[in-house]
This record gives sequence, C-alpha cells and structure tokens, in this order.
Amino acid sequence: MSEMSSGLGVPTIPAPPEEPHLPPRQWIRENLFSSLFNTVLTIVSSLVILAIVRGLLAFIFNPQRQWEATATNLRLLMTQAYPEEQYLRVWVCVAVILTLTAMSMAVWRAGSAVPLPGVGRRLLSGGVLLALMALLAPFGTRSTFIWLVIGIVVAAGGEALRRFADEERSLSTLALLAMALGGLVATLWVVPYGSHTFNLQRTPRVLAEPGTVAMSTKLPWTLMLVVAVAAYFVGTLVRDRLPTNPLRATLLVTWLLMPPILLYLVLRDPSFDMGHVFTTDIPIFAAYAVLGGALLSWLTRPSTGEAGRIVAALVLVAGFAMFATPMRMIVRLDMLLLAGFALSAPTFSGGPRARRRYTAGWLGVLGMMSWLITAINTPSTVDVPGGFFIGGISLTLMVAIFTIVISFPLGLALALARTSNMPIFRLLATWFIEFVRGVPLITILIFFSIMVPLFLPPGMHLGEVAAVVIGYSLFSSAYLAENVRGGLQSVTRGQHEAAEAVGMTTSQKTVFIVLPQALRVAIPPLVGHCIGVFKETSLLAIIGLFDVLYIARYVMSNQTEFMGSTKENILFVSLIYWIFAYQMSKASQRLEQRTGLGER
Amino acid sequence: MKSKYWKLLAVFLSIGIVAAACGSDGDGGSSTTTAAQTTTTAAATTTTAEATTTTAEVEVVQTGSLLDTVKDRGTLNCGVSGSAVAFSETQADGSVTGFDADYCRAVAAAILGDAEAVSFTALTASERFTAVQTGDVDVLMRNTTWTQSRDSSVGMDFGPTTYYDGQQLMARVGDGFSADSTVADLDGAVVCTNIGTTTEKNIAEAALLAGAEITLLGFETSDEVYETFINGGCDITTTDGSALVGRKVKQQPDDQEWVIFPATPISKEPLGPTYGQNDSAFADAVNWTVYATIIMDEYGITSANVEATCADAEAEVARLCGGEGELQTGMGLPADAFYQVILQVGSYGEIYARNLNPVGLVREGSANAGWLDGGLIYSPPAR
Repeated sequence: MSEMSSGLGVPTIPAPPEEPHLPPRQWIRENLFSSLFNTVLTIVSSLVILAIVRGLLAFIFNPQRQWEATATNLRLLMTQAYPEEQYLRVWVCVAVILTLTAMSMAVWRAGSAVPLPGVGRRLLSGGVLLALMALLAPFGTRSTFIWLVIGIVVAAGGEALRRFADEERSLSTLALLAMALGGLVATLWVVPYGSHTFNLQRTPRVLAEPGTVAMSTKLPWTLMLVVAVAAYFVGTLVRDRLPTNPLRATLLVTWLLMPPILLYLVLRDPSFDMGHVFTTDIPIFAAYAVLGGALLSWLTRPSTGEAGRIVAALVLVAGFAMFATPMRMIVRLDMLLLAGFALSAPTFSGGPRARRRYTAGWLGVLGMMSWLITAINTPSTVDVPGGFFIGGISLTLMVAIFTIVISFPLGLALALARTSNMPIFRLLATWFIEFVRGVPLITILIFFSIMVPLFLPPGMHLGEVAAVVIGYSLFSSAYLAENVRGGLQSVTRGQHEAAEAVGMTTSQKTVFIVLPQALRVAIPPLVGHCIGVFKETSLLAIIGLFDVLYIARYVMSNQTEFMGSTKENILFVSLIYWIFAYQMSKASQRLEQRTGLGER
Repeated sequence: MKSKYWKLLAVFLSIGIVAAACGSDGDGGSSTTTAAQTTTTAAATTTTAEATTTTAEVEVVQTGSLLDTVKDRGTLNCGVSGSAVAFSETQADGSVTGFDADYCRAVAAAILGDAEAVSFTALTASERFTAVQTGDVDVLMRNTTWTQSRDSSVGMDFGPTTYYDGQQLMARVGDGFSADSTVADLDGAVVCTNIGTTTEKNIAEAALLAGAEITLLGFETSDEVYETFINGGCDITTTDGSALVGRKVKQQPDDQEWVIFPATPISKEPLGPTYGQNDSAFADAVNWTVYATIIMDEYGITSANVEATCADAEAEVARLCGGEGELQTGMGLPADAFYQVILQVGSYGEIYARNLNPVGLVREGSANAGWLDGGLIYSPPAR
C-alpha cells in the first residue's frame, strides 16, 4: 500500500482510493441519500447540526457578550503575573520551542504532498462552510453579504483549482501550514481586532481602543513565524549535510533537556551565588566526576565480571543509606545516579571505545544534573507576586510536560517490574499500581498540596507546584504502566526465546527486543494517556493553582469590570484545550503511520 | 548463572529499600517514595531537589516572633482570595487589587516601610488555614469570617474587623418583593446560592425559623448563580450583602429591577485579618495598622494631606505620625510606621472608597460607617 502510493508521488494520503473518482453529486447520492432511512437520517442530523452551529454563532456574536474580558486578560491567561519588563524571556522560550519543532520537522521529513486538486477540494469545502456560517450568524445585512461573498469567492477558487489544476502538481502540507499561519499573523497587522489594555494607574483601568492589536503582540508573533520558517530551512540544510542518526539523537536529547532549561534558566533567571558554587557545588561535581568515572571505567571492563554487579549493588545501598544521615541533598542524589549508572554498566561493557563513551555519558548526565540542582536552589531574579512565578496556559503546559516526562520512565519501570520474574519487584509494583488506581486523582492532588507540607520534617519545604507534579506523576505512572504492560504482553513468546537463543542477557533482551515492539503497540493508548494528563491538569483549579481554567472561571469573572463573563472565558479556554489536544491526537496518528501500526 | 546474580541484586535492593524506608520518618508512603527513587533518579532530582531549601529560614520561624521573620525576609507573605470582587481581584496584568489587598499593603507599609513589599498568595477556602499553619503566608486577608470555632479549635487569631458583612437576599421587584420584604415572604420560592459555603446553611436555617418552604439550588461559581437568576431559573439569590450590591450594579438587565432585603442581614459576617494564634508581637502590628487607618479616618486625614497634617500635628495624630515615636518603636515597628501606612496606602475611608465604591457599596449609613456616624467602625485610642 505505502509503496504503491509513494510510486504515484503521494506518499501518505490516507484517503480511500475510490473517493477522488466520484463526482460530488454522485458521492452525495451514494453516501447520504442511498435509501429512505439514510435520507431521513441525513436530513434530521443536518438540522440538528445546523441548530447547534446557529446557537453557537448566535452566542459568539451576541452584542451583550463581553469578549473584551478575554481580549484584555490574554496575558493573564498566558502567563498570569509574569512581569511585563521581563516578557522577553517568555518570547525566547516560545522561539526555542518553535525552532526545535521546525528543525525536527525538517530532520524527520514531516509533512506530505497534496496534489493541487486536493487543495482545491479543501478550499471548496472551506468556502461553502464559510458561506453557510455567514447565513447562519446573526449579522446585519451588510456583514452577512460581505462574508457570503468571501465564502463564495473562496469556494469558486477551490472549484476552479479542483477542475483545472494538474493532478501531477502538488503542494507540501508544510507550505500550506506556513501559508495559513502567515495569513493569521498578517491579519494581526491588518484586521482591526481592537487594542485592549489594562493599566492600574489610569482611569478607566480597562480601555478598548479601535485599530489593530498592540505592537507588543503583533511584532513578537511575526518574529516567531520568521524564526520558525528560518529554522525549518536551516533544518533542511543540516539534514542534507550531516549524518542522520547522530543528528536525530542530538535533537531528541535537546528536546528532553529543554523543559528544565527553559523553566529554570530562561524563565526563572537564577542569580547564582558564585562563592557557594566554587566552594561547594563544583568540588562535589569534581569528586563524583573523577571517582565515579574511575569506578564506571572499571565496571565496564569485560574482565571485571560479576564482582562488578556486587559493587554496583553496594553503591545503591550506600546511596539509600545516605538518606538516613544528615547530608546535602545533592550528594545523595548524585550517589543514586552513580548507582543507576553502575548497575547498568555491565550491559554496556566492551572495548575501550564503548567504555569511554559510557564514562562520557556519565560526565554529561552528572554535569547536567549538578547544574540543574544548583539552579533550582538559587533564588530567582524575576520578581513576581504570588506563590508561583507563572500561571495560566504556561502552568498548564508545564505541569503536563513535566508529568508526562517524569511518569514515562517511571511507568515503564513499573510495567517491567510488574511483568518481571522477581517477586519483590512484582509485588511492590502491583501494590503501587493497584493502590494508585484505586484512588481518585483529585484526592492525590489535595493530599500532596495540603497534607504533605504538614508531614514534611522541619527544614524541608516543598513548593506547591513541585508537590503537585510529584503526586500527579505517581498517579499518571500507574496508568501508564498498565498501558505499557498491555504492549509487553503483545510481544510473543517466540521473540523472547529468539533473543535468548542468540545469547542476549535479560536487560539486553528487554531493551533491544521486547520494549521497542511493546511500545510500538502501545502508541495509541499512550498518546491517549498524554492527552488525558494534559486535560486533567484543569483539576489544579480545585487546589487553587492559577491554571488557565481557574483564571477563566474564577479570576476573570470576579474582576470589577468583567463580572459575569464566565461563559465567554470558558468558550475561549475550551478552544485552547482543543487546539493542543487535537494536535497531540494528529501527532499520534502520524506516529502510528510512521511505525506502520495496524498494517504489519 | 545470570539469574542467580539478579536474585542477589534483588536481595540487596530490598535491603536498600527497607533501609530507606526506615530512614524516611516512617511515614506510610514508603513504597511510593522508594519506587520513585529506584527507578528514575533523574526524575526524582528535578522534583525533590526543590525540597532542599535553607534550614536557616525555618529556624527563624521557630524562634522569636513572626514580626522579626517578616523584617528579616523583607517581604510580607499575604494570603488573599485572588478572585473576590472588590476585595481581592487578580487583574489583567497579574497585579492584585482590592480592599483586602490594600490592607496587606498597609501591614507591609507599617512593618517594612514599603507598601509594595507584599508577596500575594491566592488561597482557596479549604487551604487558607493550612497555609498559615505551615508558614506559607504570614497573615490572611481573605474575607474570612470571625467565628468561635476558627478562633479556638482551628488555631487562628483574629484582628479587628475591617468590614461588617452579612448575608442578604436579592429578588426581582416584578415578583412582588420590596426592600421591606422578609424571609417569611420566601414561601415557595426557588433560592440560588453557591454550594459549599455557609450561605447555604444560613438561608436554610432562616427559612426554617420563619416557617417558609424554599427550594435551594446550588452552583459552583457566582457567575452561574446570577446567570440562572437573570434567566428566571430562580426567584431569589442569596450571599453576602457586599457581593449582592456589586452584582446588582453591574449585571441588572434593563428589563428587570432587583431589590436587596431584609435591611437587617440574616447572618453576621465580620471580616478582618487572620493570623496564627499566640504571637502577640505580630498580632499587635497587624491590629494597630488597622486601628491607625481608622483613627486617621476619624480625623479626616488622607494620603493627600497626611504630609501637611503630620508636620504640625498634636496629641493622638502626632503620636500616630511618629512624633513621640516610642509608642511604635516599643511594639517593634519603625517610629513613622503608621505615617507610611497613610501616605502609601491611605486611611480606612480612602481604602473603602477606592475599592468598594466602584461596585456600588457606599459607607454612609451602613454598618461600616465610623462610630461617630452611627456605624460600627471603632478603634481604641492611640496613647
């Protein structure tokens, strides 16, 4: 199937092959009015859909609706109280994320080609939809006419393209995406959305002026688009000149490192105490780097044999014992990290080159972690009133990303432990999973935000967001573990036996044979889980964190100027949720296609 | 051969897990914590590392008064609602404004000399007292009603009441209600209110006493309550009088006329600053900040004329201005503490007018007028 379509120059269009050959009238007759029952069903359901759309449009364009509440509070919805003079930091984060996205798109060759008639079909349906909306919306005669004309023009253009364009010529979906985004950004400069500002020192505090949006909105977004497009072209250049696999590995590592770096370095801007760094942090790092490096270099030597595993286990025990004695947290955590590396060292043993690589990996991870811990413990220079320095969509996304990133390895480990032959691991994992799955998420969140701070020993202080992310990650990992376990069970016995027959160790078998197959099968439930995690961050509202839904529901409707604007705010926020969740869903579909899930 | 060593490893691991569980205060979550530690060390660091803050900060909390802690820290951690109309609103630029927020600023101006040295924390009703007990906030300005149980068993102390509120009802004139209506007139009415608050209980009790049969409808947010009220889904809404007035001013449609009754509220809701119990030094600082705004208001002193007035003031005003500074320095505040409060934030009347007038609440004739004008706002003398 895939070979056939790529031979036609249309690699991944999932449309059924007979569809393009049917003219619209015939298609409608065959699909919508084929029998009496189908005809009735079509008419009734279209009436229902029309009524819903009409109701929605009547709501949106009702002159009584306070859309200026949303327009004025956009910044509050995005980042809550992040100070305006530091806003460059937020834009830098957006730019970094867009750059990485665009480069990854280039390196992984995302997107596909759509033949021009296909583009025409989409334009046609879009234009017809627009015209229909114009008729349904409660506009004045003039606005209805203008939008009707626009819709018909678009539809006519689409129809012309569909009929007369060459089937062989095609357009990349990425170009279409860039055009659509470019159009959106262009409207910021042209369309008079109005400029809504809030200034505490001014009367009136809330001011809506006609004209295009403020410069502080349109200029950054335009730059973002330029950055993304430029990054894509840089990505294509790099892709064609550098070897593929190291490039992809570098990008993946960058993606993984990005959330903590953006949060703790860019957004939080730690002010390092250099004296402390030179007298404490760097010596600890150096000691672990030298001694740990030596230990790992010995452990990865093939001649070390099984004595290495015993030493590694002892390191782990020492790591745990450190938690019972007063000690700097960084020393304890580094020890645990070393234990993890020591335990997996025999799996990576080999010649001098492999050993050097493993030691270098240790140095990299250790350096990264030391820097992170130091940065987290350093006070921020960004001065924000309130419990946490960021809120709104940023908080929603941050909690979702950190929870997903943390719970993924945790869930993987739990799934492996639950299916392993070792009774202690199996029991612990089973107990944990069944316990967490038996408790509602909101209970866990309330427990971690209200109870845990009371239980902590004096001298320990856990930020509310950190507590919530820990609790949420534990919750999410239990569910994730069950998804992965489903995948693990789909790997047939023969795969295990074949791996054992070629002399693989248990860990090699798991890492190289079982897990890749299991994860591929588990993609749909895993992505579904990620979407769930993203949406359920809205429960943060109940424990009083200013996530985007809390701001829309409680904060904005309690501003003197915007009392009673809840409905508008919630509609806007649901649009935001939909955009993100839908993109994740599309990404999952593309991933399934790439890995050939359901085809082989 | 391999599996034997894995078993050995498992034994070591279980020893390690037991050791770790014993070391970590023996709380119930040992299986969860060890699972996190053994499997993903990297993950554990990003989150638990935030737990490691300096111990010095906490030691200060345990010794001495909160007043010294606040002075050392240089900011006042103030717990507010963040979503209460006119009392503490989070604005579009993230700043916090309102009556409660201004009293946070007043306390900061008194203790630290800078009204902007406040760190606001938005708290839900359920977490507000925990936040004080764990030391996350120093003082609550979160329209918290002073009640016996909160004062005693919850472990809070209450400052002077800054706003006398009380639950009232709102209905449509078209339905035959007037300002003279009473709870007894509610017979057969559908009453809307927020769920999970004491308003629900108060109206049920009042209706029972008056012998009126009512149907209660509960909603999660205030906006839903008034949406339903406007659409005719209920005959009556009830909540604190201050909120009803605001809604009437802002949301009454052109084709309806709303009326608030009874004139004497069905409940008493004295709102004021709240802090942890048994810390007199800090309590005095908060209480006398409030009293200073009240006394200055009695003398008609505002942020606009405080500079001129204090230059040649006498007796009580002079003492509050810091002329005979030992009254303030004796309680651990700078001599000009209350001068700064009035200059930077304002007197009681100013704070009231700035925040509550825009939502239609007027001081004259209400319980919150000064005692000389027949209200309840009263302060002990400063001498």
